[in-house]
Amino acid sequence: MLPGRQQVTGNINSFNALTSYNNIVNIAAGPDAERHQILLWLSPLEPQQRHESVRTDRLGSVGNWVLKTDEFREWCDTKDSCVEPVLFCCGSPGVGKTYLR
Amino acid sequence: MIDDLCDQAAGKDIAVVGLYCDFLAQQEQSTTIMLGAILRQLVSRGGIPEHIRDTFQNAKQEFGGRRLRLPDMIEILKKTIIPLQRIFVCIDALDESAPEHRRELLESLQEIVRVSPNMRILLTGRPHIDDEIAEYFSKAVRIPVIPTQEDIKSYLEIRLRRDTTPKAMDDELRADIMRVIPEKISEM
Repeated sequence: MLPGRQQVTGNINSFNALTSYNNIVNIAAGPDAERHQILLWLSPLEPQQRHESVRTDRLGSVGNWVLKTDEFREWCDTKDSCVEPVLFCCGSPGVGKTYLR
Repeated sequence: MIDDLCDQAAGKDIAVVGLYCDFLAQQEQSTTIMLGAILRQLVSRGGIPEHIRDTFQNAKQEFGGRRLRLPDMIEILKKTIIPLQRIFVCIDALDESAPEHRRELLESLQEIVRVSPNMRILLTGRPHIDDEIAEYFSKAVRIPVIPTQEDIKSYLEIRLRRDTTPKAMDDELRADIMRVIPEKISEM
């Protein structure tokens, strides 16, 4: 549960940054500042944070067989437009879908 | 899966982007914001493309920074994806997004994929959203994720090795855990 909660807080914080966006525009200047503004303007979400915690908590090679299935390999490797673009890994809560490498 | 794809993408012009849907953040995770997060990761990799910079500058003049609307977001995404060799979009726990956002997201992805042969989408979620996905992607390939006996055993072994109260453990208890839990799980 904890990583999820942290994520929410992270999102909310980013939203705060967005509401004061006008002020940021006035204060910040330069190409780096503009870049930062554009990224925030596109979306306040930062899934990278959640990804880091998933990486840290992942255990060994559990579930790696999924990456070796024909379905996954085909989806991954087949030339464009020769393959169905959508792959759905489905499973009950807690089976470890999120933690697949 | 993101890590596996990233390893393969290293050094090539392949983008791997990910999203985690969160039941507790349903309202914040609107379709535009989720697609925006995909776009944000895409452009974070290098310089921000001119067309996005221009749109931003125009938006800045309207009410000091109007946010993109969904149709504009979709158009910008399409345009940004074109030069890539391939893009993998991984969306975790799609079933945790609000139902109205989910349909809108699937519809938007459908629209983007239609003109982006270089795009692959990986969705994870509980089986009940299967029908919903099929409405937008009738040929979507399913992989049912069911832990193998080997998965369960190696998971247990690692967890036992990291046990914080090792004194409470003895060989007999360890053997019981390793036998009973995999048994019970395969009965489920």
